Amino acid sequence: MRNSFFKILILALIIASLGILSIYSSTYQKEGTPWQDIYKRQMLWLIIGLACFFFMSRFNYRKLWDANYFIYGVALFFLLLVFSLGVIRLGAQRWLRIAWFNFQPAEFAKLAIIIFLARYFSRKAIDDTSLLSGKFGIFQGIILPFIFVALPMFLIIQQPDLGSGLMLMLVFVGLLYLTNVRLKYIFMLLAALILPLPFFWHFLHDYQKQRLLVFLNPNIDPLGAGYTVIQSRIAIGSGGFFGRGWLHGSQSQLYFLPESHTDFIFATFSEQWGFLGSILLILMYYLIIRQGFIIAQRTADSFGRLLAYGISLLLTLQVFINLAMNMGLAPVVGLPLPLMSYGGSSVLVTFIALGILVNIDRTRNVF
Amino acid sequence: MERKSILNLIIIFMFGALIIGLLDLGLFQGAKFRRLSDSNCIRLISQSGSRGNILDRNGEIIVDNKISYDVMILPQDLNDIDQVLTLISRILNVEVKELKTAFKQNFISSSVPVTVATNIERKNAILLGEHKIEQPSIIVAPKPLRHYPYGALASQVIGYVNEIDRWRLTKLEDYGYKTKDIVGFGGVEEKYDYYLRQEEGGLSVEVNHRGKVMRVLGFAPPRNGKDVMLTLDLKIQKIVEENLTGRKGSIILMDPSSGEILALASYPNFNPAVFVDKRTKLIGGLFNDPDSPLINRAIGSSYPPASVFKVVLASAGLELKKINTSTSFVCQGSIMVGARKFSCWDVHGQENIFQALAHSCDVFFYKTGLLLGAQNIHDYALKLGLGRNVGFELAGETSGFIPSPLWRKINKFQNWFDGDTANLSIGQGECLVTPLQVTNMFAVFANRGYLLSPYIVKAVGGLDLSGKKKRLSAVCFKKSTFEVIAQGLAKVVSDAQGTGNVLSTLPIKVAGKTGTSQVSHGATHAWFVGFFPLDKPRYVICVFLENGGPGHAASVIAKQIIEAMHNQGLI
Repeated sequence: MRNSFFKILILALIIASLGILSIYSSTYQKEGTPWQDIYKRQMLWLIIGLACFFFMSRFNYRKLWDANYFIYGVALFFLLLVFSLGVIRLGAQRWLRIAWFNFQPAEFAKLAIIIFLARYFSRKAIDDTSLLSGKFGIFQGIILPFIFVALPMFLIIQQPDLGSGLMLMLVFVGLLYLTNVRLKYIFMLLAALILPLPFFWHFLHDYQKQRLLVFLNPNIDPLGAGYTVIQSRIAIGSGGFFGRGWLHGSQSQLYFLPESHTDFIFATFSEQWGFLGSILLILMYYLIIRQGFIIAQRTADSFGRLLAYGISLLLTLQVFINLAMNMGLAPVVGLPLPLMSYGGSSVLVTFIALGILVNIDRTRNVF
Repeated sequence: MERKSILNLIIIFMFGALIIGLLDLGLFQGAKFRRLSDSNCIRLISQSGSRGNILDRNGEIIVDNKISYDVMILPQDLNDIDQVLTLISRILNVEVKELKTAFKQNFISSSVPVTVATNIERKNAILLGEHKIEQPSIIVAPKPLRHYPYGALASQVIGYVNEIDRWRLTKLEDYGYKTKDIVGFGGVEEKYDYYLRQEEGGLSVEVNHRGKVMRVLGFAPPRNGKDVMLTLDLKIQKIVEENLTGRKGSIILMDPSSGEILALASYPNFNPAVFVDKRTKLIGGLFNDPDSPLINRAIGSSYPPASVFKVVLASAGLELKKINTSTSFVCQGSIMVGARKFSCWDVHGQENIFQALAHSCDVFFYKTGLLLGAQNIHDYALKLGLGRNVGFELAGETSGFIPSPLWRKINKFQNWFDGDTANLSIGQGECLVTPLQVTNMFAVFANRGYLLSPYIVKAVGGLDLSGKKKRLSAVCFKKSTFEVIAQGLAKVVSDAQGTGNVLSTLPIKVAGKTGTSQVSHGATHAWFVGFFPLDKPRYVICVFLENGGPGHAASVIAKQIIEAMHNQGLI
């Protein structure tokens, strides 16, 4: 039982420390104390994150079952709050200013929706021990939960934060697949989502269209939208096998690479530690995610299992999309790399999620 | 298969894709991206030295560099563009709008200074420099430009500078020449370009994404080009050019003991400054001018030597004992060679060699030539340095031509007749020489027996080359031959009837020979070649006037030059 706790804790700590090293390397040459202190802030977030991790690993996750409507409601409330009070940064209204830090409600919304969906699909009838979800028709199985997901998703996409919004949808589809909902319904949902895409094209913001076009060919706009991808690929590629060494990456330390401490931190890392370091990092992510799936698979409680699956899926998708976007294999969407990217909300949510995972594994043995 | 196993497979597949992507970027394309990364962040900022000066034999500057000032703005240090441009416009007295458009047009990146005004006055440069503290973005950059204090003086000797052309670039690329390099064209500028040219230095710096300099990686100081010291004497050169101005032709003064060229002028000439100022219209005019001002007439074109050639006949005759000092021929104004009548320019009566040289009697030399035969004349002309390159340093030398029966047979399938020999005897016909060859030939009589290699560069970068350049080759004539011819040449001036008698009024005794070349159309070419002072010759002078009339005209110019030199105490 202690096994998964330590495995996850140690892996998460290593990754987060590498993240702080990379944040330091990409910002230490920038002028001004706010830049130079940024790695200290991340260290603080890491400590708070660890505290959350320890707390959540002790906090019985079953209590989340009871609180799920409340959690969902709070997430929705914060998302609405962002609209009126949000801080505008980088052209998007994604942050709430609370005391001395900026808080990104979309990160919490992801976790809230996973909790909500896990409960929704693991309900049982009063007189039966089998799950209700096996008997769900199309309305209860697909349409109703879709509305619950679509509401926050719509708010997030409007911020605009297409990446996090799509992330919610992907997690939703993934969870559907892992419940007893019939495959036919899932395919119907997918068809309903994909077919009107050409129509939705007109509703996308110009920058979002641009990003998709640039993803197909970054060289159409090397100084604008394609710049980041080109610079990121140069950063990763120039690392070679062993990398250029810590603090010796010219791409990230000379700021050719934008967002080198947030969304593109993997490129910063890869430039300095090379192919070898990157492979080890990816391996560590894989091990953490694998732990999540193993926990899910050995959990008898269906709520716990779906929750663990949801959290693991969220991590997997975030890591995959972020890394693919760093390598130019996916369009640039504003998604942080969990545990590594600078950002308090992301660090906190990830550690809370990992804490829940550990708690699920711990509680399993108690039953 | 269970749904969760499929999900596991999907996840493994996703991570596999990431690793393949990483392999592709980091390992397979790593070298390419490393190169891109370096080119992203390393910039070179060049600093240029100045081209070497060209000096006269006494170290006086003939060509140097003037400092021209450019005003530049470094965008990365810029606070308020309007304020800076207003300041510059107030000092330079130009419109702000002009400066603004210049700034916009020339802007490259924030780390590269933008030139907004060029060639500003020194006074304004200093004024702007004083504002450096309050406006750190203003840079007043000195830029050395070729400067010609004497304008067109010795222009063909010096040559000009211009941007390198494609032909030169392909040949010189291996020696570190680059496109847009300023290189010498013609004359000393071209021949000694490798020494004159400055070595570009500069900084290699690392810049960030905004082009702001982060740190200096390396510095190579720029190096100035080496100075080239010529054998020319600026004072003599000036006198010579003053006297040649307005006429077509060439004048050479040479030291008969070493072969140093003391003055070399060719007219029409050109002002090399037009290439520096890029006055396109004037440059085009230079290349299209029918009088070809870019050609150095002293070495680049050849003419019939006419009577000047008679010293070849005289020395051949004396050496081969066909004539001696007591030989005399009667000139009746003409002579029949075969069926053709060859006339003299006057009726001279009984003439010996001294008189024949002094009066330039054609009949005497027809007869001498016929006694010698064409082949001997040809051989002696070559012994005296005609018909082949003198090996002068500057490019564009032609070798001239001395015909011979054998050449005629081989190349023209024609026989050589006595009439041709008679024609050759007075330096007409196919015979062609350059003024420098003639100068060199007369130096043999001035120094009594040494053929020289004329040269014009005395020292490069302070290293004296005259020891290496001075090459004498003995002309194995009898001493008496030189004496007789020298006496004859002295008589040209001193004899009352001598063709160069006009020079006899000079306080210095001059020996020489006039010449009047017949040309197919236009006025005759005028020659005067001689040396002075007679008893201890220190100068050989050659005045050649293209279509300048009779030899007398050249003698008059020579007289004026020698007079001026004497007046300035140069002799």
